Formats: sequence, C-alpha cells, structure tokens
Amino acid sequence: MTDTNSKSPSLLITATVLGGLGVLLTYVKAGPERFWINWIFWFVLVFTVGIGSLFIVALQHLVSARWSIPIRRVPERLATLLLPVTPVALIGLAAVPVLFPGARPEAIHNKILAGKAFWLSLPFFSVRTVLILCLSLMALAILVRGSMRQDKSRDPQFSVRAKRFAPLFMVLFAFIVTLVAFDWIAGMVPEWYSDIFGVYLFVGSFLSALASTTLAVIYLKSQSRLTDVRRDHLYSLGTFTFAFTVFWSYIAFAQYMLMWYANLPDEVNWYRDRLHGGWHVVTVSLAIAHFIIPFFALSTRDAKSNPKRLLKVGLAMLGAHMLDMYWLIFPVLGIGPVFSWPEVSFALMFLGGCFLWIRKALTWGEDMPIGDPFLREGLEFHL
Amino acid sequence: MSERTNMVVGLFDSADALMSAIGGVKDKKLGNLEAYTPYPIHGIDDELGLRRSPVGAMVMVMGLLGALTALGFEYWISAVDYPIVTGGKAPWSWEAFVPIMFEVTVLFATFTSGLGMLFLLNKLPFFGHPILKSKAIADITRDKFALAIESDEKSAQRFDFDAAQAALKAAGALTVEVLRLPEKEPVFTSVFLLRTLGGISISCLVAGFLMYWTIKLFPVLPPMSHMLDQPRLIPQQSSKFFRDGLGMRLPVTGTVARGYLPLGLATQDEAVSLVNPLPRTDQVLAVGKQKFTERCAVCHGSLATGVGSLTAAYGAKPANLQSQQIRDYPDGKIYWVIVNGKNAMPSHAADLNVDQRWAVVHYVRALQRAQNAHDDDVHL
Repeated sequence: MTDTNSKSPSLLITATVLGGLGVLLTYVKAGPERFWINWIFWFVLVFTVGIGSLFIVALQHLVSARWSIPIRRVPERLATLLLPVTPVALIGLAAVPVLFPGARPEAIHNKILAGKAFWLSLPFFSVRTVLILCLSLMALAILVRGSMRQDKSRDPQFSVRAKRFAPLFMVLFAFIVTLVAFDWIAGMVPEWYSDIFGVYLFVGSFLSALASTTLAVIYLKSQSRLTDVRRDHLYSLGTFTFAFTVFWSYIAFAQYMLMWYANLPDEVNWYRDRLHGGWHVVTVSLAIAHFIIPFFALSTRDAKSNPKRLLKVGLAMLGAHMLDMYWLIFPVLGIGPVFSWPEVSFALMFLGGCFLWIRKALTWGEDMPIGDPFLREGLEFHL
Repeated sequence: MSERTNMVVGLFDSADALMSAIGGVKDKKLGNLEAYTPYPIHGIDDELGLRRSPVGAMVMVMGLLGALTALGFEYWISAVDYPIVTGGKAPWSWEAFVPIMFEVTVLFATFTSGLGMLFLLNKLPFFGHPILKSKAIADITRDKFALAIESDEKSAQRFDFDAAQAALKAAGALTVEVLRLPEKEPVFTSVFLLRTLGGISISCLVAGFLMYWTIKLFPVLPPMSHMLDQPRLIPQQSSKFFRDGLGMRLPVTGTVARGYLPLGLATQDEAVSLVNPLPRTDQVLAVGKQKFTERCAVCHGSLATGVGSLTAAYGAKPANLQSQQIRDYPDGKIYWVIVNGKNAMPSHAADLNVDQRWAVVHYVRALQRAQNAHDDDVHL
C-alpha cells in the first residue's frame, strides 16, 4: 500500500459521514418524499451493479468461458455489494407507503389499483423483496464464497457445481431483476405497463457491472496486481460493453416506439412525464450518454483494448447508468429534474460507502481464482 | 495478393520456427511476406506486418450512409412527396423511421462487409492460388508451416529469386520451392466467346420453356382479387341491406351541400335587402360574362334585351333586362330570380354557385349601363 492509498480511506470515511449528516438533514428539511426517492435510487443503483456482477460470474460458468477466469475474481468481489445493499432494501420498505400509490389507503378508490390491491399491498411487496434478497444472497454464497474457498481447497468440484448452478441462476436472475424493475421502479407508477421493462433494467444492470468490472481491472492493473491480464482480456470486456450498449438502445427504443405508436393513455403517460418540461433534456442526454458516446467511443478494434479509452468509457457508462436510474425514478415526484444538496449528500454517503466496501472487497481472496483448474487456459487466452 | 505471382516458399517444422524466421526475412524487403499454416497462429499478423483490414471502416461508413439514405428516403416519401396522416402521427415522425433506418443500416453494412471482403480484399473471382499447385501444399495442410516471399504482378520483373531462396534458407527453412509466374493466356479467344454465347442461349431457352410449361401446367390464379369481390353498393341498383330495398340513400333531412346554402327568402320582394358582396373587378366581371353567356344569353340575348337565339324557336317571351323596371331592381331582386327562377325561367341555383350568381348580377348591371350610357361616361 502506498501513501495515497492509506490516505484515501479517511477521505472516504469523511465523505460518507458528511453525506450521512446531509441525508438525515434531507429527511427533516426536504421532507420524506425527497428522502425516500433518493433512497430508492441508490438501492436500485447499487443493487443493479451487484446483481449484474453476479450475472457476469454466472454467465462465465454457464458457457464454460476460459478467457474470463483471470478476471473473474473482480466481478465476484463486486457482487459482494449485495451484502450491504440488503439492509438498504429492508429500510427502503418504509418508503412504500410514502411513494407507492398502490400501497396507500386511498388506492381503493382507484379502479385499476383496487384490482391489483393484493399485489401492491405493503405485506406482499415486503415478502417479494425479502424473497429476492434471499435468492440473491443465496446465489452470492454459492458462486462467490464457493469460488473464494476454492483458492485454498483447490477443489475442482466447485467448478463443476458452479456450472450446474449457473442455468438455475439465470432463471432466478430473470426473476430477481424483473421483480426489482416492476416493484421498486414501476411500482411507483402502478397504472403503467411495460412487459419489457425487466429486460431494460437487466441491460442497465449488466452494463453497469461490466463498466465496474472494467474499471476495477484497470485499477488493479495500475496497482500491479493483475499483471497477467492482457489486452486480449480487456478487449473481451470492451466488446461486451460495446455490444450491450446497442442492446440497451434496442430495448429502450422498442419500448418507447410501441408506446408512442399506440398512444394509449395508460402507457403513454410514462413518456409524457419524461418528454415534457425539464425532463426532455434528461431524456435526450440519456440517449446520447447511454448509446451514442459509448457506441462511437468503442467502435474501433483498438479502442476496445485500450486501457485509457476503456477507463473513460467505463466511467461514462457508470454515469450513464446513474442518469438512467435517475430518469426512471425521479420523475415520480411530479416535478422537473432536481439536483441539489440532498442528492449530493446521498451521493457522498452511498458512493463513499460503496468505495469503502469495494476497497475492502478487493482484498478478499486471491486476485485471481487460483484454485480454478482452467486458470492457466484463461491466462493463455489469445484473440 | 494476386492470382498471378512469383513465389518462393520455405517450409518450417514448427510454428515457433516460422515465427522466429519472419523477422529476419522481413528486414531484407525482398517482396510481400505471406504465411501458410495448418492452423491459425496467434500474433502472426502483427509479426508479418500485415495491414489492418479496412473492412471495419468500410462497414462504419456504409452503415452510416445506409442510415442516412433510409432517413432521407423516408423523409421524402412521408413528409414531402406524399404526406398522409397515419395513426394520428405527423408526416415527419422520426420514431416511425427508426426501424427502417436500422434495417437499411444493417443491409448496407452486411453487404459491404460480405462483398467488400470477398471482392475487394480477397479479389474474387480468384480461382486457385498458385500455392495450391506447389509441392509444398501437401505438407502445409498436414504438419508443416510455410513462409512465402511473393511479388505482385507489377514488381514481378524485379523479383530476385536467388536472394529470396537464400533468405529463406538462412532463416532455417527445411526446403525451399520456387513457383514462377504462369504464362499469361489471352482471355477473349473464339472458344471463350462461343462458350459464352452458347451458355447465354441455352439459359434463355431453358428459362423460356420452364416459364411456358409452368403457366401451361399450373392454373394461374388472379392475384389480389379480394377488392373486386367485396360486398358493396352499386349506384342505381337495389340492395338487400336496407329494409326499403334501395341501394342509394337519400341524405338526412336538412342536409345542405357545401357552397349551396339556401337563400331562405320566400318572395322576390324580401330579396331587396340583399347586397352584392363581390367587388366590381375585372375578374368578377369576366366570370359574370362567362356565366351569363353560358346560362342566360340563349334566352335573354347577349345584350340582355330579351331577344336571344332560342326565343323565336321556343316561343317564350324572356324578360327584357334592359327595361326600366328591371334597371330599377335592386341587385337582390335579380339575384333572387337567378336562384328561384320566375315564370317560365327555371332556377339556376344548381348551375351557378353563390359567387357566380353575384358575378352575373354585376355583369347584367354592366350590360344595362352599356346600353343606357350617358355622355359623361365617355372620357375624352
């Protein structure tokens, strides 16, 4: 550890504590709605990065990928963000009576909400949330704890078990991400329908996890810790990111175009809220930040393996995912785009907390899954 | 790469031997370097110094071009040339264009990558690389690795076979084989022309007979006959659809055709209050003259004196519009007669629209004034 590293945790702790004070002040000064909307934003943001990282891990097991074994420990460590996000989600259940119209007593007067009363009620909402948290933690235990144990035991049986579990995980993952999307985001606008919304959140989740993984790999390389990871591995990460920015825009546009065409009142309100007033700028910025910039920044072959370019694109991609979540969640307040001291406080607290956690997580286990019998094959991976 | 080339091919035992040989041979700059191996070797393209394939850039340019082509075309057909409101959307709705822009982008991009790769970069039609006629090819497809120094057609004269052989031997080649530029054969021989013509004639004959027998043997279905067969009402025909059995329907009571608002004045005297809304301009008088000539002059005469070309044959007595009584009429009374008719004169409401009737009134006034001019009408 160098000097700069020993200094940064105190900085991070200061930021987190300062942010925490601002968060408390938000509840008192700016009101519970502003407080809980920020809370849900950060829960969804951190959860999508965590579950997306776990998806990357499971995907590599599912297809028996060899190239990714040297960097697999990075998403495994990032997936441990699911641990601190669990209490965040449980506390966030208190937001349900504040921000979710379906769980409020006046919902019985609304014909649509009354029909869905059981699904939208706080008890069943809590049951679903606890269920997805349990499933996520179970998958985390199986895939990540097992992988870290393999460092010492060198037991090849884990690789077999992980490969068997991976298909089941894919089903669970679809279930988890869809429920988070439908409950925690779309639940705040319960009259609105979109079948593809779960897929939309999945792409954001996968992309943000890919960006985090890329950034962490480049950081570890700069610390001379993943020296055996070469351009070829970075190229694969860059290609994944490139491909899924296109997939994101495909899903985002498909959802928009169908609703724009049909122009049905229960669907189109979602976009009316986001295309008028101050939100129009955010919508256009989102399309540019989430598709146009990463698409052209990663188009060429060299860009996909260039650490400097990947660093910039990774940061931009995380920013775009934040903007995406902001665009999904904040219009619920019914006012224009807000960004003021409450948002800054929440960002300080949660980003500080996440970085503290990741700092710690990056020391867990070996930097590479040295117990994986195919590690050597992954190190020799050549394009 | 070209079909016609001078080559010197050296065989090596292993991929490593080939890779280590490349550097030394490349430095001597004897010609283009090419490797022929039983399986792909990682990193060999960098070692050979092969240029990066331009397919990516070509696809990017053509893909963007495809997107712009589709956007421009759709904009032109939907918003400029034939704008139709569909589904309540404005003619210029970019959202509706995106799927087609996407498809055309993909079309341009795939054709560019596929055809560009085959024809521009791999030089199709390119049958039989010279290496296929070498002795070394049997070993290359089994367990040997070949490094070749090649010349393109332009530098073939300057190609130094001895230096190339020496370079490959020095680099550790097991065997070295020389493949010389094959003799150039003329393309347009009489045999070639006869074969081409024969091929075209036979293809035409086969296609013609196939077409003939297909139409002959299989019943030809009229395409898209559904619109002809749909149930519909025919003018002047009965219909079982309506209870009274009439196909043509009367309009709803009180229906007024556009531009034919009824006057609502029962008698001519009530029409006194009407005021001619049209200005007395050349255009209005021209319309009035044309309509008067078409509709009125046959009976009232072209000077409105009540003596027209039909008067004698018909035996009627049309009004003399130059009479003092009619000259004293206010405009509204003349208008009322045009609309309702008078005595034997039928209504002209169906023939002249409102503006045309008033234009005729103006013209009648002009005729009256022309036949009863004062001296001071003439400006000297």
